[in-house]
Amino acid sequence: MRAWRPVLALATLSVVLAGCGSTTTGTPGTTTAAASAAPSGPWSFTDGSGKVVKADKTPTRIIAHAGEAAALMSFGIKPVGIYADESVKTDANLKDLDLTGIEILGQEWGKIDVEKAAALRPDLIVGDWWPAEKAHSGFEEGVDEKSKKLAELAPVVGVSQGKSIVDLAKGYEDLAKSLGADVDAPEIAANKKRFEAAVATFKEAVAGKPGLTVGAMSPADDKLYFANPEYAPELLDFQRWGMKVINPEKPDPGFPYWENLSWENADKYQPDLILFDGRSYKPTSNEEWGKKQPTWFKIKAAKAGAVVAWPAYWLHTYGDFATELEKLTAAVKSADPNIGD
Amino acid sequence: MSNSTHVARRVSVLGPGLAVLCVLLALIAFLSVTLGSRSIGLPEVLRALGSMDTDGSINSTVTLELRVPRTLLGILVGAALGVAGAILQGVTRNPLADAGIMGINSGAAVFVVFAITVLGVRGAAVYVWFAFAGAIAALVLVYAIASLGREGATPIKLALAGAAVTAGLVSVTTGIVMTNVDALNELRFWQVGSLAGRYAPILTGVAPFLILGLIASLGFGRALNGLALGEDVARGLGQQVTRTRAAAFAVVAVLAGAATAACGPIVFVGLVVPHLARIICGPDYRWILPYSMLLAPIVLLLADVLGRVVAAPDELQVGVVLGVLGAPAFVGIVRYGRLSEV
Repeated sequence: MRAWRPVLALATLSVVLAGCGSTTTGTPGTTTAAASAAPSGPWSFTDGSGKVVKADKTPTRIIAHAGEAAALMSFGIKPVGIYADESVKTDANLKDLDLTGIEILGQEWGKIDVEKAAALRPDLIVGDWWPAEKAHSGFEEGVDEKSKKLAELAPVVGVSQGKSIVDLAKGYEDLAKSLGADVDAPEIAANKKRFEAAVATFKEAVAGKPGLTVGAMSPADDKLYFANPEYAPELLDFQRWGMKVINPEKPDPGFPYWENLSWENADKYQPDLILFDGRSYKPTSNEEWGKKQPTWFKIKAAKAGAVVAWPAYWLHTYGDFATELEKLTAAVKSADPNIGD
Repeated sequence: MSNSTHVARRVSVLGPGLAVLCVLLALIAFLSVTLGSRSIGLPEVLRALGSMDTDGSINSTVTLELRVPRTLLGILVGAALGVAGAILQGVTRNPLADAGIMGINSGAAVFVVFAITVLGVRGAAVYVWFAFAGAIAALVLVYAIASLGREGATPIKLALAGAAVTAGLVSVTTGIVMTNVDALNELRFWQVGSLAGRYAPILTGVAPFLILGLIASLGFGRALNGLALGEDVARGLGQQVTRTRAAAFAVVAVLAGAATAACGPIVFVGLVVPHLARIICGPDYRWILPYSMLLAPIVLLLADVLGRVVAAPDELQVGVVLGVLGAPAFVGIVRYGRLSEV
């Protein structure tokens, strides 16, 4: 049984890093217009690692990791193949997209069917760049060596996963543009406009509740995980827009995404609003955890039902971010800034 | 020294020894309720214990709804694992026997994974029953396989069957879990072996099985002494070897099955504690069993309290603490102690 531990750790890591779990709306799937307008090259793009990747011709046969594929598709660039970390039916970025005509090359973290991928004759591989791991999605430590051979088929590029989802979305906008997407086409730009409007109303709502503090949490059977915004780009965005997202005092040194709280210490932080890990959130979650864990309702916001889903670690597109922000804005507006005091 | 004075001396030393262990266990149980990853003043703990009712404050909730059930569960599960280990080592005459190598952990894991993936159930309180059923099923399977053939379930066949069944079940679990991240994450919680997150419903669910099993186990002392002399001698002394073995396995299935179901696979307690008991008591199972029953919860609760105090506001799972401390302790016993023959 012990031999499982590294595998388990990795899979957990992948879930946390790669994210999964919530809704997606209206991403236009019009690929032909963009593709036909594609400039023929030469092409170059500055990768998240800082390296400039060049090609004689603009790539057209793209294989992309799940969220990155969704991002490209939102700008009308349709990849020929996708590798995901879980079933494309449940992946938060993909589950509502039309994937017909796209080859699915993997539905499990670390496992990519390179043979199938080679048959697609790709000329570009797209995966987020993870600065901490110095690797692109799909090529991290722990991925099957066989799967990593994907990198031999074509150059790999990606936008750096860093401190902001806005930067990430902007990066994929730039990549899509370089690949020939008409990002200003009205149906494509609509999502960005919606996003900008969503940010504006979010900022306004937050400004209207100056005393409101929030904490991002993920309850589990044995512990309560309290998120560290430093490692959650969307939480950093919220902070930038004026929301007081609590920074935990003692993040786990080995896995700084969270501070681990024993259930005895569930009440260590008392935010006015709880951002509940969206990967496991259901409308009934708050009540269920209240029944299951005697100390969950000792967090005053939980007791008061001030709980909203947090799009944890998966966002890639303006459209998805806009949808999530709209939900958060509503929660902020109805929140009571004095619950946690 | 004649045999009777030897026995008399044993009783005069080992009898009071049991009383000392009882006091020690009570002391550690008290520590387990007063210490933890949250610091609660002693007066507050005592007030909560005195009123036996939460006054709505988190400190009283933590004391009464988290620590008290956790401590009671620790005592019962510890005792069960210790005794189950001692009986298994005696019946199989295998010094390395514990719940793990008899397929109990892997059987429970398979059923938990089945519950997660196929039935879609979630939560420690539900896993208990699947784990319990799985543990018993695995043990029955091991025993049935070992019983094939004329000479019945001999120690060597039991060891081989246990290893084979474990290997088979582990590969099934791994196969499912590798393709299902969700199941993996759920299993991870169960897999480590922990007293955290187990509250009153789990305690009251498994307590009857554990208590009955513990009472029944104390009756096996003489039979195990007979088996220790070898099957032929035991038969010569008029023992029904096969029946004894089957009955012992049934008790182990209930004890280790319920314990593993409640807390996940907890390592080392079932393996090491019977050896400790053997060092103290000598080869007589009539003493080894009650000593294991008291020593094991002492070890388990100590490890749990340690895991709760060192990492606050986080906690270390007791399974991890036992693994880290248990391995060197076992090496120490093997290397420097008189590891008595089973």
